[in-house]
Amino acid sequence: MWHKYPNSKCTHVVSVDTIDRTVDPQTGIIRTERVLGCKQKAPIWIVKLFGGSEDAFVREISFVDPATQNVTITSVNLSLSQFATCYEQIRYSPLSATQTAFTQTAEVQARMALWRTAADGLEKWLVQRFEQNAQLGKSGFTDVLRNLWEERHRASP
Amino acid sequence: MSQSLSPECTPLKKKYDSCFNSWFEGYLEPAVAAGKSSDTRAAYSQKKADEFNQKCGKVWEEYKSCIQIAVKERGLDTLLQQARDENPLVEPIPPLPPAKSS
Repeated sequence: MWHKYPNSKCTHVVSVDTIDRTVDPQTGIIRTERVLGCKQKAPIWIVKLFGGSEDAFVREISFVDPATQNVTITSVNLSLSQFATCYEQIRYSPLSATQTAFTQTAEVQARMALWRTAADGLEKWLVQRFEQNAQLGKSGFTDVLRNLWEERHRASP
Repeated sequence: MSQSLSPECTPLKKKYDSCFNSWFEGYLEPAVAAGKSSDTRAAYSQKKADEFNQKCGKVWEEYKSCIQIAVKERGLDTLLQQARDENPLVEPIPPLPPAKSS
């Protein structure tokens, strides 16, 4: 399972790094935490809007339990996780002497609270920009008027 | 074998991966057999955990310090910390309830 990448069907995974690994001295369960780097083909509007890039990173945690012969792999996106998360869980468990059950689930969550703060922030920024620009516009026009007035004054004393 | 996210860490990553792989090669089968009783399981697990640290501990430390810097340079450390805070995933995921046959 640690050799899942690179594989010819998942060419988008370009780097694999183990960042933590423990072998439990009681249970023999191996826990591995890895960071996978992917080349993603995100729609251009997503990249533009969310400021992502072609490189996306994923955190992956796996447990290998020799006693129950269960393997679970959970992964979640690190890139763009401020907007949404996608939890994927894969499990291999023995069904019989010759069969393995494979289950896969995914949970996608948009961070609504953050969306709201982002929307609030955008709104605030827009209001501020308006205030600044309105101020500038007003004083700018005042200058124009003053110049006109002064010019006329000079022309006909 | 794949690359590290940082080219500087790739040689250490490959060294560490092959160390782990050769340790793991001999691990699983006896572990499955030893897993039948909790006593033999604990004895075997302790022995193999020690062996892993002995064999791969040094290269792991080297690789770890390299990759930690690379992770930080790419701003992934804060994202990683956030993900860990939200879901530490330090405990094995419990088995699913038996599937209902349809």
